[in-house]
Amino acid sequence: MITGFPLLSAIIFLPLLGAIGIGLLPSSRPALIRLGALAVSLVTFSLSLAMLLGIRGVGGEFAFTEKVDWIPTFGITYHLGVDGLSGALVVLTTLLSWICILASFGPIKTRVKEYFISFLILETGMLGVFLSLDLFLFYIFWEIVLVPMYLIIGIWGGADRIYATIKFVLYTLVGSLLMLVAMLATAFAHQAATGSWQGAFDLLTLRGSAFDPGLQLFAFAAFALAFAIKVPMFPFHTWLPDAHVQAPTAGSVILAGVLLKLGGYGFIRFAIPLFPEGAHAFAPLMIALSVIAIIYGAIVAIVQTDLKKLIAYSSVSHMGFVTLGIFSFNQQGVDGAILQMLNHGLITSGLFLLVGIGYERTHDREIAKMGGWASRTPVYAALFGFFLFASVGLPGLSGFAGEFLVLLGAFLANPMVAGASTLVMILAAVYLLWMYQRIFTGPLSSFLSGLGSHLTDVTPTEILTLAPLAAMIVAFGILPSILTSSFAASVATFLAAAGPTLP
Amino acid sequence: MNGDLLTIAPLITVIVGALAVIVSDAITPARRLPPIGIALAALGVTAALLLSRAGETSVALSGAYVAGPFVVYLGLLGVAISAITLLVAPAFLAARKLPTAEFAATLLFALAGAILVGAAGDLITLFIGLELMVIPGYLLAGYAKRDPLSTEGAIKYFLLGSFSSAILLFGLVILWGSVGTASLDGIAFALAAAPEGAASPALAVALALITTGVAFKIAAVPFHYWTPDAYQGSPTPITGYLSVGPKVGAFALMIKLFLVALLPMASAWVPIIAILAAATMTLGNLVALTQGNVKRMLAYSSIAHTGYLMVGIVAAGSGEASGVSAILFYAAAYAFMNLGAFAVLSAVGVSVGASSQLDALAGLGRRHPFLALLATVFLLSLTGIPPTAGFFAKTAIILAAVQAGGIATLLAIVAVLNAAIAAFYYLRVVVYLFMREPVEGQPEPVSAPLLRLGLLLATLGTIALGLAPTPLLEAVATAIGG
Repeated sequence: MITGFPLLSAIIFLPLLGAIGIGLLPSSRPALIRLGALAVSLVTFSLSLAMLLGIRGVGGEFAFTEKVDWIPTFGITYHLGVDGLSGALVVLTTLLSWICILASFGPIKTRVKEYFISFLILETGMLGVFLSLDLFLFYIFWEIVLVPMYLIIGIWGGADRIYATIKFVLYTLVGSLLMLVAMLATAFAHQAATGSWQGAFDLLTLRGSAFDPGLQLFAFAAFALAFAIKVPMFPFHTWLPDAHVQAPTAGSVILAGVLLKLGGYGFIRFAIPLFPEGAHAFAPLMIALSVIAIIYGAIVAIVQTDLKKLIAYSSVSHMGFVTLGIFSFNQQGVDGAILQMLNHGLITSGLFLLVGIGYERTHDREIAKMGGWASRTPVYAALFGFFLFASVGLPGLSGFAGEFLVLLGAFLANPMVAGASTLVMILAAVYLLWMYQRIFTGPLSSFLSGLGSHLTDVTPTEILTLAPLAAMIVAFGILPSILTSSFAASVATFLAAAGPTLP
Repeated sequence: MNGDLLTIAPLITVIVGALAVIVSDAITPARRLPPIGIALAALGVTAALLLSRAGETSVALSGAYVAGPFVVYLGLLGVAISAITLLVAPAFLAARKLPTAEFAATLLFALAGAILVGAAGDLITLFIGLELMVIPGYLLAGYAKRDPLSTEGAIKYFLLGSFSSAILLFGLVILWGSVGTASLDGIAFALAAAPEGAASPALAVALALITTGVAFKIAAVPFHYWTPDAYQGSPTPITGYLSVGPKVGAFALMIKLFLVALLPMASAWVPIIAILAAATMTLGNLVALTQGNVKRMLAYSSIAHTGYLMVGIVAAGSGEASGVSAILFYAAAYAFMNLGAFAVLSAVGVSVGASSQLDALAGLGRRHPFLALLATVFLLSLTGIPPTAGFFAKTAIILAAVQAGGIATLLAIVAVLNAAIAAFYYLRVVVYLFMREPVEGQPEPVSAPLLRLGLLLATLGTIALGLAPTPLLEAVATAIGG
């Protein structure tokens, strides 16, 4: 049932329509294609802002819902809705999408048309994942995301792009296919219990139906595997450094900024509320894996020689905080986890954009070859420093609030775990600041001086891609409550569904 | 008798159409369009006749021929498969100076066999239908008679095919002898009435022989050895047909034998079929991984798809009727996506001497973006990525298996892990299409209007069944209701 303008459908499918429109443009007009893609992504961004205004104060309910029967034989519906949690992630997606499209104007010179078509289809897939309230629909968007990302890494990526992109797809597929089996088993359990397929894939119907404990364990394990691969949690993270290193800049940004969040979102929205008993049974394991990811990611980041790989491993460490917070099952932990997802989306995206900007000039990411860069490009160095300190978790910038809340939540659940994880904030300072020191300070390296006048400072367009991220990092650093209050109702609903906190 | 003629009218139309094609070729020899036109017209009339009596069940020829929703579904699917093949093949055959009329007539005879399998009410009709369906297949496999590979594939196909028919026939005869009736329903009734544990050694032998024979026909591991050679050697559009038409027909045969006649013995055959299914999926996919020839790779992938379809048989044998509807849905989805994939290969390899190695597809995305896009749609569908027919087909099979529980659920997990293996080799083709530079000296794809129409139909089927599966879901529900 749809009443009024289907805003969410418009947000999801506008990029797809844009992709079709770009498909009709001649390949010989790359400038027109670029501007068209940017225009579509900006309109989508504006619509998502309008949506954000519309969901203020709706509480724990889903707003702008649309529900139409799609495959009635199995009770599958086209069911969309948005709340504070998904609303924030949708805006993050639409924001990063136009930033990425703008950031791709320069670097993408071959097959421009195919690139922007892929990117816009990717945006549709990501938005669909966040806005679906039907499990089947969610799954379809989840899989649709894979295809354009596969192409983006595989066509426009670095030298080893084919290995990286196939690894990315296979890892993700193994997890998601088992999730499909679990999803169908759940739907069938609902059908067997109620005698009807009505609502068998509907999140709102299934949430709160107490499934049989055996099914809960199996289904949670299958869902958790799919999401853990996406987050990625240790030991399923090995696809991430490869994908990040090989992906073009915008691909890395979207990967870090949005795709990793699909995993965290999946835990909060689907896996835990549907199978709380399963979630509690697996919680100790999930917490242990989170702590390992936090520490392991940080230690491995220290020894990296490739700049992108270093940030990729720092992502593994940072995303560990997300899962740690979620499985603390308390207000602080979950608030922190969601904050961490959003902040990581802003900060790491900024870092990948900066690495890409540097790569455009040097065509290298080898840390050892750099040195003294700040003397040639002060603005670039300053921007890099800003995002780096945000990533370290400097109080006053947004990275701090999320990690602090997660640690608080973890401390309430298990002080030992929190203690171990806190040490990592020091490790993060070590690998990030040491990296900064090696690249930007000291005498100008022979490699960089050899580049001569090619080593220019950031352009106004590049500043335009970074400025919104920087502004939000400052704003949410000072007032994280803007965010936490926007998704407070979602967190309350989640905690109610997730059941009692850990003993 | 008049009623009987009306009931078997679709069958008669197909055969008359085949004869008309031959006659027309005698009147205007070496013309390429009339045979295709006549054959398509015959298919159109057949479809109309099938649809006109869609809702009713009637029995003709003393119970040998049962016209009902099942044969309507199977007949329409056969018409679609034949029509797409008829559209795709002529350009390819013309380039090799192979005759069109004999091809069209042979294809129609095979369709008549498939309809007879779908309509069979007893073991004899079933066997005759099967042979009528597969013998044209042997002819088609050796259609490029001057090509040694085609001849070799056809001989292997013919020898192993005849051998397996003999085994199957032997099994059918023993079954008939020990139960005392050849009627499928009669056998089921007699077996169900027999007291538990009264299974005679003769029945066990019959079951073993029938299972072996059927496994050959559907190309299940370990009886699959004929497929790669037969598929690689045949002219590409014919390979497309062979990988779909006879397979769908063989599964209709399997449904009739295992899910109608032998259903009361399900507890005896479900474990065997389950093991064969797991082996078929896994081996088909693992060997497909290592193939550098696209036709051979698709041959092994079709073995893997046989395995997925067998999961549906296991689910249905475990008492979950939706297993049958899942098989029927999968068969339609598989037909469109596989015919589409082979249609693209036919377009790319239409000129004589074109290679069917992966390299032949390198850089197609740059040379012919639209053809490469269609190829990608078919490959994604074969992988099972939404929103395509292949995705929903896999979902239907898995859902049936999960509903059946027990061994079928384990098979569902094996099936999805296999789907991930399969993704590797299907997506490797996409790598060649879009991520490799074109190899110098590749012949240009030829675009014939009929070929384009065939590609269009396959694409529409592949996408429509993914986006809006409901009409077909209702159709398969009707098909097993009757």
